[in-house]
Amino acid sequence: MRAGGPRQLSLPLGPAEERGFASYVPGPNAEAVALLRALARGEATAPVIHLWGPPGVGKTHLLHALCAETTRDAGLPCAYLPLDQHELSPRALEGLEQLGLVCLDALEAVAGEPLWEEALFHLCNRLREAGVPLVSAARAAPAGLGLALPDLRSRLAWGQVLHLRPLGDGDLERLLREAARRRGLQLGEEAACFLLRRCPREPARLLALLEQLERLALAEGRRLTVPFLVRVWQGALEAAETLQGQEGGA
Amino acid sequence: MDTKVWERCIARLEGDLTPQQFNTWIRPLRAVETEGELRLLAPNRFVREWVRERLMDRISDILAALPDAPARVTVEVCEEPPPPPPQAASQEASSTSEATFRRKDDRGAQISSLRPEFTFETFVEGKSNQLARAAALQVATHPGESYNPLFIYGGVGLGKTHLVHAVGNLMRRRDPRAQIVYLHSERFVADMVKALQHNAIAEFKRFYRSVDALLIDDIQFFAGKERSQEEFFHTFNTLLEGGQQIIMTCDRYPKEVDGLEERLKSRFGWGLTVAIEPPELETRVAILMSKAQQMGTRLAPEVAFFIAKRIQSNIRELEGALRRVVASSRFTGRPITLDFAKEALKDLLALQDKLVTIENIQKTVAEYYRIPVRDLLSKRRNRSVARPRQMAMALAKELTSHSLPEIGEAFGGRDHTTVLHACRKIAQLRETEARVQEDYTNLLRTLST
Repeated sequence: MRAGGPRQLSLPLGPAEERGFASYVPGPNAEAVALLRALARGEATAPVIHLWGPPGVGKTHLLHALCAETTRDAGLPCAYLPLDQHELSPRALEGLEQLGLVCLDALEAVAGEPLWEEALFHLCNRLREAGVPLVSAARAAPAGLGLALPDLRSRLAWGQVLHLRPLGDGDLERLLREAARRRGLQLGEEAACFLLRRCPREPARLLALLEQLERLALAEGRRLTVPFLVRVWQGALEAAETLQGQEGGA
Repeated sequence: MDTKVWERCIARLEGDLTPQQFNTWIRPLRAVETEGELRLLAPNRFVREWVRERLMDRISDILAALPDAPARVTVEVCEEPPPPPPQAASQEASSTSEATFRRKDDRGAQISSLRPEFTFETFVEGKSNQLARAAALQVATHPGESYNPLFIYGGVGLGKTHLVHAVGNLMRRRDPRAQIVYLHSERFVADMVKALQHNAIAEFKRFYRSVDALLIDDIQFFAGKERSQEEFFHTFNTLLEGGQQIIMTCDRYPKEVDGLEERLKSRFGWGLTVAIEPPELETRVAILMSKAQQMGTRLAPEVAFFIAKRIQSNIRELEGALRRVVASSRFTGRPITLDFAKEALKDLLALQDKLVTIENIQKTVAEYYRIPVRDLLSKRRNRSVARPRQMAMALAKELTSHSLPEIGEAFGGRDHTTVLHACRKIAQLRETEARVQEDYTNLLRTLST
């Protein structure tokens, strides 16, 4: 199951603050953010948390933010394991109970693999015994992950299971405008709406696009106004048409 | 310990690596600086190798450019436990009493502790666990005398571990000096492997054979591990001869564990073997009320009934559902009404509904009795078909929210009174025929986990 499937889009490398909790627009996911922030402060009551939702809702962003704040505030080492990365093996789970926090991302990538599932089950037990919090993230809730080991499923379902939902229009607009402000750009309400109507609605992809636009605007000495965006769009459309024409003629 | 040098090094590395690489390989490292040497401690060999191969040159370069650079930098696997995290500290503080048992064995590894919250007082008794609880209580008050070994088996999340800790805690209360060791079977295996690597197998044997009580969880994970089984076999014999108590848990009946030596299977049955069944509705309600009280919340009976009716698989998932409702109520500041609980558990229940459909029940029951699904829907009335059909109907009533007429319709257009009769018949047979009871619990477990 690890092969194939769409690859996770990584967040654009911006200033460190763009990867923290502050830059995550909570929208419908405020409860999850509050819970994770409490965990980073060492105040959490739930030692096991499972976050689930479709791609693009910010699962990875939240786990990275949690790791960063845990190291910064509590001074504890932590582990972040993206299980869809082929370079990892179940051996990477050994000894993690010595750390202050363990985060597992893309859990669906190893569901159904006996070696991984058993290693994860044992990890859950060791973490619980050592009092170390475990936060996992996946496309589905524990019951919907297709786990073969019921022991693992019930351990993940025992803690806080939180469903992350995509942002609505208002929240996406806020996200774009705040990201622009952090970069020292002015992005008006109309310009933001223009982008939202034409672009993918995943925050990571929107932010990547914003970064490209920033470079273009900078190169041309322009601001991110609607006329500027219209021109960029027309340029991109014409370029695409030309490309199509060339390919068709070849 | 001054890690300022490392902190500056980290700041540079963070710019070099992707956030993912940084979080995966740098954040798990602990730095210890001594006498001009920077020691980086990795949690395992996997992380150590990655850092050594991909980052050591870069780290050396960064350090060389710093004014007070250490002369040497090494990365090794950390074998010592770190200071306890803040979350664990409070638990530690509240249980410095005799309830928690921690000791260092000869190799410096920590022996597992008993969980103070798992006692007989917090164990909710019901028809499904009565026998196991009574046996456990007997063992706790007469260790090594009455049932040795005590073998508790049952599906996941039904309270086996709770019961075992309860025995340990009670034994400890009655005799504070008793050496009681609780551990998961994987820990036994890992300790043995470590002892073999460190040439310390003699200490390993001495330690495990000297305890007053050995409580060992999930022994099905010994399957296929021959060296561990061999070692456990001898430990088992020594303890039994010495009159020291052994308690084991397993997810199935000992004879059903594949990959376990025959001589172990037969010895496991020398004492008392008891099952824990999935809790019935009333017990599930009682468990929810008790857990809610422990969380400092009052739960209206109608809400408890609603959750208990919908989550049947096991206690751990029941607790997860309760946790979700309580946390959601605290976050929103809204009281836990029936509507609120329905809303908070909407996603979870939708998922359950998708998993347990009448169609799925028919398929599972047909497979279990090795008959074709079409026979369940047919008009045939001989026993070999009628009994599985009644079983499937009873399970459909128990596991889905479909009405009797709907269930009848799904079984080849039968009348609702036929379904009612099937439910009553199965309920009655479960009381009188062990085989029917066993089939029912097996099927219930398969369908709801």
